[in-house]
Amino acid sequence: MDNIYTNIIEALIFSSDEPLKHSEIVKAIKGIDGEDISITDSDIEESVNRINEKYSENNNSFSITRLANGFTFGTRPEFAKYLGYLSSEKSKRRLSQAALETLAIIAYKQPVTKPELEAIRGVNCDYILNTLLEKRLISIMGRAETIGRPLLYGTTEEFLIYFGLNRITDLPKPREIEEIMQDEDFLEQKRKLMMSEIESSIEAETEESDKNDSIE
Amino acid sequence: MYKIRLDHFEGPLDLLLFFIRRDELNIYDIPISKITKEFLDYVNLIRMMDLEIAGDFILMASTLMHIKVRMLLPREVDEKGDEIDPRADLIKALLEYKRYKEVSEEFSFLETNQRKVSNRGNYSGDIKEAPPEFDILLKNVTVFDLAKAFKKAIEGIKKIPFHEIIKMPVSIDEQIDFIMEKVNEMNEVHFLTLVFDIREKIRLVVTFIAVLELTKMNKIGLRESNNFNDFILYRVDNG
Repeated sequence: MDNIYTNIIEALIFSSDEPLKHSEIVKAIKGIDGEDISITDSDIEESVNRINEKYSENNNSFSITRLANGFTFGTRPEFAKYLGYLSSEKSKRRLSQAALETLAIIAYKQPVTKPELEAIRGVNCDYILNTLLEKRLISIMGRAETIGRPLLYGTTEEFLIYFGLNRITDLPKPREIEEIMQDEDFLEQKRKLMMSEIESSIEAETEESDKNDSIE
Repeated sequence: MYKIRLDHFEGPLDLLLFFIRRDELNIYDIPISKITKEFLDYVNLIRMMDLEIAGDFILMASTLMHIKVRMLLPREVDEKGDEIDPRADLIKALLEYKRYKEVSEEFSFLETNQRKVSNRGNYSGDIKEAPPEFDILLKNVTVFDLAKAFKKAIEGIKKIPFHEIIKMPVSIDEQIDFIMEKVNEMNEVHFLTLVFDIREKIRLVVTFIAVLELTKMNKIGLRESNNFNDFILYRVDNG
């Protein structure tokens, strides 16, 4: 592959307003320069790596990241607070613990029905499911063939983008149950709990003494 | 007595995991009696505050009590002849939930990292012309969106009031004849019997006016009936 394509790939990714897939890049290049041009996915990967190396040599404030099975430009994390100051997009509220839990279950078990979800979480999930659907982090994938033909839910490309993932397989693996039991996690949690209690009692004491100070 | 932060727990399983962690309990040998009591204390607390959430907790409380009872009875055995621990299903559910709860912390971490990155394309001012390709025409629209929009449209339709005017060929004179005929025939007649066959409101009103008219002309008499919602019309001979 000619070096000139590196620049073309850079331009294509730059001009796209959402993550650009390998196939789209190939389509554009072959569409202009002819079908007999040989360009593979790994050629594109190499080009992107070269572009990124150039950016880091120049200490640029952005690079090309792999997101939702495609490429997109992203700023470096250290500028987050300045960007957030101007744009309301990133200062949106974070997901709640309930939403994260529900998303985690859907991400690993998809396609999954509401009853399956509720069985794992032990709580009603109607509200959370609607919120996630409206945020487009999940979508309806069809219906299960079981009794009542319940709806099946799965994650979307927006989900990958929201969590900065390239593929769904990039998700951290949940630990196996045996593993959970073997480690000292339970004891550790207990220790943390004790620590926070101690901290709060210390806080209370210092507050007390502060008060006394001010009285004196 | 410790204080429970109510917003802390995502559900009954979360609460049980909290008890297990706090008291360093062996998850495979949960002291059901103790944990049921603590659980019920908590349920009583939230019942006063939030009935909606309490439903899931009450379900778990009844499950716990069910397990507690089964613990007292002789153990059931499976096909292999091994004893079945009544707590087995609960333990399985707790561990399964714990897996996802753990990994949701990783999700939160990923979320934090990605929020620090701004990608190209987070602008909305551009006007795009949609190329006539099927997949692009359906971009970012899911069945859920369509269903939601349709529901909104259906609910948004205003009801147009529709009045139909029908001319009713009925006059007081006609109804007077009708009443006189009945009264002459049967000597006396209940008002409700008289109007039994009348379906239209206006005819009923006209008939009632005719009754009043006849009474004024001393053609018929009125008398109360045993049924307080009715009255009797009777013939007046010297009328």
